[in-house]
Amino acid sequence: MNEMTSVKKSIICAVCIALCYILPLFFHGIQNAGTIFSPMHIPVFLCGLICGWHYGLFCGIAGPAISSALTGMPPIALLPSMMAELGVYGLIAGLMMKFVRTGKTYADLYISLIVAIIIGRVVAGVTRAFIFTQGTYSLAMWVSGYLVTSWPGTLIQFVFIPTIIYALMKSGIIPERYPKEIK
Amino acid sequence: MTGAISGRYIPGDSILHRMDPRAKLFGFIILIVAVIFTNSIIGYAVMAALIFAMACAAGMGLKVVFGSARRLWSFFLIIFLMNAFFYSSEDPIWSFWIFTLSKEGLIQGTNVVLRILLIIVMSSVLTMTTKPLGIMTALETLVKPLKFIKLPAEEMAMILSIALQFIPTLLEESSNIKKAQIARGARFESGKLRERAMALVPMLIPIFLSAFKRADELSVAMEARGYRGAKNRTPRKEERMSITAVLVILLCAGICVLEYFI
Repeated sequence: MNEMTSVKKSIICAVCIALCYILPLFFHGIQNAGTIFSPMHIPVFLCGLICGWHYGLFCGIAGPAISSALTGMPPIALLPSMMAELGVYGLIAGLMMKFVRTGKTYADLYISLIVAIIIGRVVAGVTRAFIFTQGTYSLAMWVSGYLVTSWPGTLIQFVFIPTIIYALMKSGIIPERYPKEIK
Repeated sequence: MTGAISGRYIPGDSILHRMDPRAKLFGFIILIVAVIFTNSIIGYAVMAALIFAMACAAGMGLKVVFGSARRLWSFFLIIFLMNAFFYSSEDPIWSFWIFTLSKEGLIQGTNVVLRILLIIVMSSVLTMTTKPLGIMTALETLVKPLKFIKLPAEEMAMILSIALQFIPTLLEESSNIKKAQIARGARFESGKLRERAMALVPMLIPIFLSAFKRADELSVAMEARGYRGAKNRTPRKEERMSITAVLVILLCAGICVLEYFI
C-alpha cells in the first residue's frame, strides 16, 4: 500500500505546504531564527525529494505564499525572492532524485540535497542582485546571508532530511528507493 | 496553541458564514494589499473598525478572532524591539553601544507589528467562517486562469485546500509533541536563544513522521473512495457570483483605494 500514487503525492505536497507555515511558528519567538535555522526549507526539500520536481516546485512557491498570507511572514517585500529560492530547491531536489541513481539511497539523497542547496542559493543570490533588490545587493551580503548566518540551518538540513526520508521508508509510508529482492 | 487556530472552521449561520467563499477569498487578498498600503493612524483605525465589524458579522468575540495572534506576542515584541533599536541611527532618542532608539524605528516597528497582526486576524476570520470545501471552490476559481497555460489548476486548488485543512490538525499535533518533550525534560522557554532554538530540533522528526502518517492515511482513504486525481473528477456546475458577493469585493477594493490615499 505504500506505492506513490499521484493522489498520495498531492497529499504529501499539501502536508509539506502546511508544515511551511507551522515550523517557522515555533522559531518566530527566537530572534533571527528564521534566517539561521531556515525551518521553511526542510518541508520543501522533502517534498521535492519524495514527490518529484513538479510537487517540489509547487510546494516551494505555495509554502511561503500561504505563510505570508496567514501570518504576514515572510514580509511581502521578501516573498518573491523567497518563493524563487524555495521553488528552485524543490525543483532541483526533485530533478536530481529522478536522474541520480547510485544504488545507495543515502548517496542519492545527499547528492540531490547538496546540488539543490548550491543551485538554490546561487539562484536566490542572482535573483536578489538582478531583480528583487537590484543595486543594493552585494556578494558580501550573499556570503553573509547564505553561507555564514545560515550554517546551522544547512547542518540541520544535512542531518535531518535524509534521516526523515529513511525513517519514512522504513515505516512503510513511502516506498523504498531500492527495494530488496525477495528470494 | 490549540485554542482558536488559523485554519479551523467554526460552524455558524452568520452573514460571513453564508457569504460566497469566492467573495471572501478575493476580498481577503484585496484587504492584504490594503494593509500593505496602510501607513497612518486613520488608516489603521479604518482597518481596526473593519475587523471589529467582521468579528461582529461573524458572530464571534474579539477574543476568538484574536486567538491565533495572541500566542505570537513574543514574536511581535521581538519584531517591534528590533525595528525600534536598529531601524535608524538618525535623530536618536536614546543610544547605547549598538542600540539606537529612534522615533523612525518606533514608527517602523509599530507599522510592521500592526500589519502582521491585521493580516493574521483577517486570515483567522476567513478560515473560521469558511468551510474547507468553500475554500477549495474559491481557490479553484482563483487559479482557473492557470488552465490557459496548461497547468493543473484543479489539482493545485485541491493541494492548497488540503494544506489549509491540515494546518490546525498539525498545529495541535505539534503542540502535543512539544508537551511530550517538555515532560521528558526539554526546555523551550528558558535558556539562551541558541539553546531554546536547539531544543526545538528534536521535535522535527516526530512532527514530520506524524504529518506524513496523516498524509498516508488521507490518501488511502481518498483512493478507497474512488478519488483518482482532480482531472478525473466529474465537472461541477459553477454557480454565478451573486450581486452581494460582487458588492463585497467592490467594497474591499474601495477600502484598498481609500487606504492608498490616507
